[in-house]
Amino acid sequence: MQRDIAIVAQAQVMTDSLDIPRERMLFDLVKGLFDKVGITRHDIDGFVLNSNDFEVGHTIANVFEDTPCGAYMKDETHVEADGMWAAQYTTMRLLSGNYDTALVVGNSSGASTFRPYLVMDYQLNPTYDRQLGILNELSTAALQARAYMAKYGAEEDDFNEIAARLLRNAALNPYAVRSKADATAGDVLASDYLYEPLRQLACYPFTDGACAMILASGKRAKELTDKPVWIKGMGNSVDTYYVGERDLATSKSARMAGERAYKLAGISNPAKQIDVAEVSAKFAYQEPIISEALGLFKEGSAGKVASKGLADLGGSMPVCPSGGGLGAYVFTANGLVRVAECVRQLKGEAGEAQVSGAKTALAHSQDGFCAQHNGVMVLSTEEG
Amino acid sequence: MTFEMGEETREVQGTWDISTYKYLIDGAGMKLLVDSMKEKKIRGIKCPQCETVYVPGPTFCRKCYIDIDEVVEIGETGVVMSYAVEMADVRGNPLEEFRLTAMIKLDGADTWIIGTISGMDWHDARIGMRVKAFWVDEPVGSLADIDRFEAI
Ligand SMILES: [Zn+2]
Repeated sequence: MQRDIAIVAQAQVMTDSLDIPRERMLFDLVKGLFDKVGITRHDIDGFVLNSNDFEVGHTIANVFEDTPCGAYMKDETHVEADGMWAAQYTTMRLLSGNYDTALVVGNSSGASTFRPYLVMDYQLNPTYDRQLGILNELSTAALQARAYMAKYGAEEDDFNEIAARLLRNAALNPYAVRSKADATAGDVLASDYLYEPLRQLACYPFTDGACAMILASGKRAKELTDKPVWIKGMGNSVDTYYVGERDLATSKSARMAGERAYKLAGISNPAKQIDVAEVSAKFAYQEPIISEALGLFKEGSAGKVASKGLADLGGSMPVCPSGGGLGAYVFTANGLVRVAECVRQLKGEAGEAQVSGAKTALAHSQDGFCAQHNGVMVLSTEEG
Repeated sequence: MTFEMGEETREVQGTWDISTYKYLIDGAGMKLLVDSMKEKKIRGIKCPQCETVYVPGPTFCRKCYIDIDEVVEIGETGVVMSYAVEMADVRGNPLEEFRLTAMIKLDGADTWIIGTISGMDWHDARIGMRVKAFWVDEPVGSLADIDRFEAI
């Protein structure tokens, strides 16, 4: 990339029952992050705030975020899409050379305000997909899961194995709101179907929270931390809004987002060169579709990956040591959380979930029905 | 056969009806204000660092970015910072009696509150004019407990 940009530090807060105002949650999180890094709000050149009215739960939600995030009278802008796009936009602002430090903060309080599945209805294509009232977030997910199963001979049990791994990993993540240290595919099988083949424990838990990160240009980053996490590449790609125009069994947009990021990062063999990946899956079945599109595993290999434990913490390609979207899924902020989890890994701060020797990480996130829009960032402990 | 491009635009019917919603707000400063209004008093929160007095008070200072909780009592007199004369309602219906709406900086506060000024011809209103709050007979702890302001 044109300029060396690094992530200095991250902070997260998540809950399944928000009992404080969103403004207070943001103030405590961001102030805590400034204190941890040893700076004040005046050390930040540009603020990028990230939320979405639907997913916060009331209108013009962003106006309540500026001052709690320290942006009073500062250069501030806002991103409504998933936090991955806020992270990429923040990086681009730093790449412009006009900023040396930036704060990006994503948040949502929608899970304690509305049932998230209902809110998603209003993101559905209103001209066709919403008209008959039969498509919704769960039915589209079930359609996508079936399409993958049919194309590659996968079974529900493969997805339940993925969910169990994520719930076990979530038990090692202090921020997760749902976990089970000894989870098995049997536990997932024992949970109710929402739509066949989606078991409750294989779907994202309703989560409120926020994620904040400080980014800086190379020189400034090294002044602010001993362990900058360098941004080596990023890319995104958007598929058609109309669900019926896509091949749901695979994700061309995830593949293209990955290719764009890999090209910048100089990655030719992702499965070898990437040490750990944080893939954004709202449902267990999405993880193989996306991680295969990103070249982390062979196409259609969900069953083999699960049975051989390839994506496990000790496996050849650990995916979501944080528990991913099944441990906690904060709407909008989720993309920032995936990046922040890579930062924890590359700084060696992931505790029991640490992938030993992790030097290169991939963060992925998505937006829209059946992962319509995909974004990827490649991060590294090595500068340049 | 070719596709006929003749049809006009179409209207798509839809509603937004998820449910009623609950959303937590930072109620401390507003509670402080309306509770004090029940006693016909006005209270705000002062930042110990920059000494800004906010009415209603937030729980952190926007400028200093610190938690604040020092309660201060504000006067019921103040100065008009700006005013607007309502001659038609927002739907465009002309009003028979014009309404004088003002932003008022109460003595001891740094932020402005809104109120209506009664008992004067709007032509005589001016920025910098001193006004006093008049209370309803039985305040209940709401923003409507200040019945009106009048010039002093
Ligand atoms: Zn202050």
